Amino acid sequence: MIDHYLQAFATVLLPQNILAMCLGGLWGLLAGALPGISTSMGIVLLLSFTYSLSPMTAFCLLVAAYCGGITGGSITSILFGIPGEPSSVPTVIEGHSLAKQGRAAYALWTFLICSIYGGIFSVIVMMVATPLIAGFALQFGPPEFFALTVLGLSVVSSLSGKSMVKGFLSCFFGLFLATIGTDGITGGERFTFDTTILLGGISFVVAMVGLLAVSEIFIEAEEPFKEYKGSVGYKSMRDEMPPFSLFKSQWANLIRSPIIGTVVGALPGAGATIAAFLAYGTTARLSKNPEKFGKGAIDGLMSSECANNASTGGSMTILLSLGLPGSNTTAMMIAAFMIHGMQPGPLLLTTRPDIIYGIFVAMLLSNLFLLVLTAFVGIRMFLELNRLPYSIFSAVIMILCVVGAFGLANSTDDLYLMFVFGVVGYVMMKFDIPVAPAILALVLGDMAELALRRSLLLSMGDPTILISRPISIILLLGAVISIVYPLIKKPKILQGA
Amino acid sequence: MKKGEIATGAFCVAFFSFMLIQGFDLLETRRSGEVGSGFWPVMSLIACLGFSIAWLVMTVVESRKTRVEPTAAPTREEAAGAWVRRRTVGLSILCLFLYIVVMPWIGFVLSTFLFVFAFAVSLGERRKLVLSVSPFLVTAMVVAVFAKFITIPFPRGVGVFAAFSRLFYQ
Repeated sequence: MIDHYLQAFATVLLPQNILAMCLGGLWGLLAGALPGISTSMGIVLLLSFTYSLSPMTAFCLLVAAYCGGITGGSITSILFGIPGEPSSVPTVIEGHSLAKQGRAAYALWTFLICSIYGGIFSVIVMMVATPLIAGFALQFGPPEFFALTVLGLSVVSSLSGKSMVKGFLSCFFGLFLATIGTDGITGGERFTFDTTILLGGISFVVAMVGLLAVSEIFIEAEEPFKEYKGSVGYKSMRDEMPPFSLFKSQWANLIRSPIIGTVVGALPGAGATIAAFLAYGTTARLSKNPEKFGKGAIDGLMSSECANNASTGGSMTILLSLGLPGSNTTAMMIAAFMIHGMQPGPLLLTTRPDIIYGIFVAMLLSNLFLLVLTAFVGIRMFLELNRLPYSIFSAVIMILCVVGAFGLANSTDDLYLMFVFGVVGYVMMKFDIPVAPAILALVLGDMAELALRRSLLLSMGDPTILISRPISIILLLGAVISIVYPLIKKPKILQGA
Repeated sequence: MKKGEIATGAFCVAFFSFMLIQGFDLLETRRSGEVGSGFWPVMSLIACLGFSIAWLVMTVVESRKTRVEPTAAPTREEAAGAWVRRRTVGLSILCLFLYIVVMPWIGFVLSTFLFVFAFAVSLGERRKLVLSVSPFLVTAMVVAVFAKFITIPFPRGVGVFAAFSRLFYQ
């Protein structure tokens, strides 16, 4: 293992990979901070840049963007009182309050140091946990993989928003889309209607670009966003740095919050938002001065920032060890693996340890680079880019979507598919049908179907094979609880049509 | 909005019904243990159809409830605002579609240049400086990064457009 890490450090510290991490980190910061782009969309737009890159350089770019995206959302939260990402809402509450008291630099430094600390904490957990979980997952057979994909899909209940009916509709729509093309077992055509466009199936990357990015531009077109206005006074990060004694006095918070973030990040469908709120709420409950929360409580800011960045390591652990995307952003990472001919999961640790250990090291170093990038480049760059006309900005984003879809197979057919999914995604968003379950199902659908059919082949058609093995029973039970629990807790959400 | 939702729900029911009928053709007799290539898509489509019908029914019920408790009719300004929004979105969708359609004919460079201009106008941009400078800048940056540096083989177009594209990339 030490050899793997030494090799990984040697690879990641090559100049092109360092440059990729810096550029990816900056892009992630801007994607998290700028209006109209989310971290997931930022990763999608970066995919088009990775086609001609080596796998390691591509992953350096993407993991740095992932870490940067979670961090970047807090910049607008503190300076403008607008959350760049949903996970930054507690940062708005406490960080913007501090900024309005004339302490913007103090709030920014605190958020930055805690974010980087939370990120590094979770990367260390990832380094330890991924090989252990992957080793365990190598014992999985088709029934266990089917149960695992069902568990992965069951998170649709937590991604459904107000209406579970719409959430499940989106999920099964994604499962249906995954069946279009050529059957992986028999080789027969399904729903191709004798067209070459559909013969190869629906490319996950193309669908994702359309459903997530293009549709978002159409939605934003309804109310073209002007640049952020009304930032609090901010001149430079050198105005006010937090003292070391602050972090020393918050030692319990700094241990508790990243643990919460890492564990919650590892739960499929949970992610940075839940991590941030849970850590923030826990800190508020345990605080000796709960009345200061909402008015610039520095410990509240620290806890939410530690947790939301710590969730990145948790999510990546599950992705790398089990091949399960727990969120939109890690689903985008799967696309990157597929573009470079790899499938994330337990086998990858044995077949391509250079990539897995390289990703560990890249995430560690990305967090360190982000400290410098954000403090001295990112914030200033964001304030300048914020002044760009949004109409041109949207056009650039749309062109990046087109390039991303085209570059996959150098085919204009993919552009038409991207357009169709863009319109479908727009309609879905207009009627509050969540897009995330469809994307998740599109990723996992193939895996689920193949695992099910292989299981039934093994058992000569006997479906009890799926519930006759202890691991698959536990995973299926987890899936059932994941679907049923929100229904019991909030039966009214079924009526959200 | 409810009318649109009912129409979309009805479209979903029709679409998934049609696909389900296509899917039944995929179901065939298999050897013991095989479920065939139609099993999984048919299961997914049955679920899609079921949830579409549920959504449609719930939307119709909700719509009837709001008819019983009428809300205030939209003002002229609100109606005008809604029309402007729909027009903006419609134009931006049309811009993207035309961009994709003409790209193989006139090449990536020219189509991108025209797209930036048209898309900005459709989003309400009217500043002459922005509209005159941005298409050049954006097209130059995109060609430099993707066509030259990453070497993605974009469409060159046909005839004179192909010759024009070759001035920028091979």
